[in-house]
Amino acid sequence: MNDASRLMERVRARDAAAFETLYDEYHRLVYGLALRVLADPGAAEDVTQAVFLKIWDNPALFRGGNFGGWIARVTRNRALDVVRSRAVRVQEDVPESLPVDESLEETVIANLDGARVRDALERLPREQREAIELGFFGGATQEDIARETGIPLGTVKTRIRMGLRKLRNVLEGVVTV
Amino acid sequence: MSAHEELLDNVAAYALGALPPSDAAGVERHLRTCAECRREYESLRPAVTAVAYSAEACETAESGAAVASPLLKSRIMRKVRAEAAPRRLAPPAWPAYLAAAACLALATVTGLQNLSLNDRLNRERAQTTQQVKELADLAAPDSKRMPFHHGEVVMHGPRLYIAMHDMPMPPRGKVYQAWTLAKGAKRVAPSMTFMPKASGTTLVALPEAATTLAAVAISVEPEGGSLQPTSKPIALVAL
Ligand SMILES: [Zn+2]
Repeated sequence: MNDASRLMERVRARDAAAFETLYDEYHRLVYGLALRVLADPGAAEDVTQAVFLKIWDNPALFRGGNFGGWIARVTRNRALDVVRSRAVRVQEDVPESLPVDESLEETVIANLDGARVRDALERLPREQREAIELGFFGGATQEDIARETGIPLGTVKTRIRMGLRKLRNVLEGVVTV
Repeated sequence: MSAHEELLDNVAAYALGALPPSDAAGVERHLRTCAECRREYESLRPAVTAVAYSAEACETAESGAAVASPLLKSRIMRKVRAEAAPRRLAPPAWPAYLAAAACLALATVTGLQNLSLNDRLNRERAQTTQQVKELADLAAPDSKRMPFHHGEVVMHGPRLYIAMHDMPMPPRGKVYQAWTLAKGAKRVAPSMTFMPKASGTTLVALPEAATTLAAVAISVEPEGGSLQPTSKPIALVAL
């Protein structure tokens, strides 16, 4: 079990000190991600507060696995909900019950930090990075991206897939692009 | 293109969260049954988490970089501290039975002959793998404890234990048997049979979920256990 999972067990027992440690560890990810999606510091703080208080009020929502990946998905969904508060949500939360091998995720993203990932993203071909960022931060579907950029859908799919694969490989240190 | 190929083609966008809901639901269903697509999903998901981390804010606002206001933290922590459990200055003293249990002096769990062998084995296997968890449950500050014959009934979430000390050995040919009364039920159901350790310490983890029960009782029964109590309960507690 990793540190965050252990802290979450203590949060379940209403331990404020454990919660504070989690906040210190993850607020930069949550706030930064919300700010990137919303481009509004005030709204990003609101989302950050909502995400952390949701965790405090309902720690059982986290059902194990990689905490950083989980809190990032929660934050992105919340921020995208704010962006299109009157529109339909693009994709529901990834169900945590999917039988996913988490150990893989642990190995690749054990020591992620903003600077290292930004550097890795910089090394992707620009069109791949753009497709990924439009989808993730912009909340655009692959069809939206194809329509807005005038690029065939098949090409958009390939760019997303190749880009994610390459990013993974760069972070694993398998290849240098 | 086969259904699988078409879905595999969408797995990357699914991992990124860039599919419309109808397509996402299809990929999700397929992932449950297709190992190849799941491998693809598992290999791409860490990259998506990495994309999220690329937006991580800085600790301090050097060169005008994005940084969360410290007031934000104090706002959040004020609410959290107001709702937090009172801080314990010293760990709670462990009852005598628990100190003994810490040496894994667990009660011998004997089989209920009326149950199938398989069921019995499964119960005993579960018992063994849970020993560590049991000790954590018993020591957890948020577990619920109720006085019970020579000890306590301890509930932690759905898990339920009977912990006793100074238990006399039952008469020859007899065992102790636990009984559970499900919420809304009229009659008790047979649970585990057990014998105290020579030291008199007894720790029984009941297989039933505490949340579904209204009461727990113990009686002395013939070896092998009974389907209905044949003697008056020596202890009974409402949960
Ligand atoms: Zn498939």
